[in-house]
Amino acid sequence: MVLTIPEIAKCFGLSSNTVERWIRQGKIPIQRRNNSCIFNQSILEKWAENHHMPFEMTVENTGNELKYPVENLLAAMKRGRVFYNPDGTDVGTILQAAAFLIPDLKSNVKQKIYEKLVEREKLTSTGIGKGIAIPHPRICLSSIKESLITTCFLKKPIDFAAVDNEPVFVLFILLSPTVKTHLQLLSRLSFCLRDVSFVEFLKNCPSEDQLLTIIADFEKQFEKSNSF
Amino acid sequence: MDGKSDLKRWRHLANFSIFRSDDRLLLIFIGIIVGICSGIAAVVLNRSIFTLFDLLYSVYHYWWTFLFPAVGAALSSLFLEKIINEGAGHGVPEVVYSVSRRGGLLRLRSSYSRLISSCLTIGSGGSAGPEAPVVMSGAAIGSNIAKFFFLNDRQRITLVGCGAAGAISSIFNAPIAGMVFTIEVILGEWSAVNIIPIAIASVAGTEISRLLQGNQIAFSHHKFNIDFTDIMASIGLAVFAAAASILLTRLLKSMRQLSGQLPSPIWLRAATGGAAVGIIGLYLPVTLGEGYHCIQLTIEGLFEQGLMIAALATLAKIFATSLTLGSGGSGGIFAPCLVIGSLAGLFYHRGLVLLWPTVSWVNEGCFALLGMAGLISGMLQAPLTGIFLIVEITGGYEVILPLIIVSALATTICHYFEPASFYLKDLVERGQLLRPGTDAKVLTDLSVLELLETDCISVKQNMLLRDFINIVKKSHRNYFPVEDQETGHFLGMVYLDDIRPYIFDPIMYDAILLEQIMDSEVEVAYTDDDLFDVLRKMDKNQLFSIPVVQNNRFLGMISKATLLDKYRKELIVQTTHRCF
Repeated sequence: MVLTIPEIAKCFGLSSNTVERWIRQGKIPIQRRNNSCIFNQSILEKWAENHHMPFEMTVENTGNELKYPVENLLAAMKRGRVFYNPDGTDVGTILQAAAFLIPDLKSNVKQKIYEKLVEREKLTSTGIGKGIAIPHPRICLSSIKESLITTCFLKKPIDFAAVDNEPVFVLFILLSPTVKTHLQLLSRLSFCLRDVSFVEFLKNCPSEDQLLTIIADFEKQFEKSNSF
Repeated sequence: MDGKSDLKRWRHLANFSIFRSDDRLLLIFIGIIVGICSGIAAVVLNRSIFTLFDLLYSVYHYWWTFLFPAVGAALSSLFLEKIINEGAGHGVPEVVYSVSRRGGLLRLRSSYSRLISSCLTIGSGGSAGPEAPVVMSGAAIGSNIAKFFFLNDRQRITLVGCGAAGAISSIFNAPIAGMVFTIEVILGEWSAVNIIPIAIASVAGTEISRLLQGNQIAFSHHKFNIDFTDIMASIGLAVFAAAASILLTRLLKSMRQLSGQLPSPIWLRAATGGAAVGIIGLYLPVTLGEGYHCIQLTIEGLFEQGLMIAALATLAKIFATSLTLGSGGSGGIFAPCLVIGSLAGLFYHRGLVLLWPTVSWVNEGCFALLGMAGLISGMLQAPLTGIFLIVEITGGYEVILPLIIVSALATTICHYFEPASFYLKDLVERGQLLRPGTDAKVLTDLSVLELLETDCISVKQNMLLRDFINIVKKSHRNYFPVEDQETGHFLGMVYLDDIRPYIFDPIMYDAILLEQIMDSEVEVAYTDDDLFDVLRKMDKNQLFSIPVVQNNRFLGMISKATLLDKYRKELIVQTTHRCF
């Protein structure tokens, strides 16, 4: 086989300088001709095994960004939809009603989600103050494929046992398949909610289109700062 | 591919598919060629020294002949200095240095330069040996043949060893000694991959010498009957031989220092030394030349002068050798060691006979032989070389027991006084002796650039803490190099540990510039630093990683964690049996 030195260095997870030196010193069964390296794959594999070296011929380009694509808040909110005035007078009933509003899921999954949301709520309230709650299950759900955020504006603010004891008027139900995406979405969402004018805007119970436009603006900010 | 490089392709022997996976056959094959060439070089030098010496010896009864060694030494040092442009000395340290630091690279001219210069020195009567120059020649021949076939460092080092082994084997007609000397002194590494081609080269070198000069044992002798008392006496001889080798080592060193202090040109220093040797030679001709004739006399018991003359001759030979080599003559210490050893053995034997005349000692030739082994082992600190060389050049296997005792003891005693052997002393003092698989060798092979971690994110000195925290979020590392906004020069480091108190305090976010929290007096390493020094710097300051800087620019970090990984791989690659 013929490869270049940087390619071989990648196979071994070594620096090109090291591979070049090993070839020069005759420590590795590779011959050099001009800029290419000639070797027999099975011999090189055996050599790597004898010398306890990791050796992987097929190298995927695994940058961290590619492995974990940054989760998009706007897309998640679009998938989760926005709902208004779910039935219910307390945390339990409201969460049940909201859970069954989540689109594109089977009813047994919705029931399970509801149970998990209540379970999480018992631990500590997800009411983060200023009348906002972000209910989410404690453990990530393997039953859903894509993360989503379902937004529910309540008819009447209810007592959610939030940190500042203010009654909650909006729920962002956050569901995600992995912890990584969960944290990313939570981080982006809480960044938006730190914005006082955004909270004021939410209090006016905006339409789905209005809300998504604003979120799209936030997304642009994230992309610019590239910090999440 | 143009025609020219097509023509050259046959020289890339190692690229042929049959040798690609296993080059042992190739090395054996080229080893034979190298052994033959270095064997021929050894025979040529040996013959020409004999011829020159015989030519001049015919007039040695005149008083003015003391000028011969002076002229010879001056010519030899002029030749090395002006024409070849190489330092004086015997060449073995150069070969060992090249093996440990330069992958066995030697200049083509080294393959003949020492032959000519040592022929001038020794042939004219200077007290030195032809073996070390021949080792250098053989090694250079091996190295250049390897270069011709575009072989890699490991293969080249093996061929350098083949050259050295072929030379020693040829000059002494002693294949095992050649092989053992090469492994023990030149390469310092015992591995089957090396030993086999070297053994074959020894055979080739010996065979060439036998073809050209006949199969003669250099110093034949009568049979010895060795008693227990002789074996006990050999312990005393070991001490005596060790004392002689230490004296020789120290005298050589002080002669070199003394002549280095003289303000005269190099050739004049060599001439002065040569003239002094010539004057000694007027009174004690045994000290002149390589002295093989003298060895023959002592072994056969034909050295007729008395006890005191033997003692005087021993000292005179030590002195003459120091003068010749210390003042800049060219040659080795192998042959002088043999002469001094045989004279010392003779003196010791005569002393024993004088003290205990009633004990029936083995004849004095046997002690001369043991003395030779003691001196060689003591000077080279290579006991196996001493044992095998003496067994082979005398054909006397019956002396093997006292031989082992003398060699082992002399080596041990000398090691006590002189921690490094004569050949390797300079290299050890300069820290250049790097045997494979040692810490020093691993650290020398690895370079700063190979260990560089480049996943650090650089920041500017005017950056606010708030912006910096966004960078911290993205980074995998705890270290951030600070670079100048305009010039890009390295200014210092920000360590996450140092700024932990501030990063959770939002009030500080817009109040602090990185300039204020960076550490501007960091220890840095440079790309051409020795890893040994870098590690020492890290240990001294208790650092786990250190930034690497070149031309005022930050290149990356070196950390001990990565070092461990690379160090281990390097050690495995260096020490694991190299059979692919």
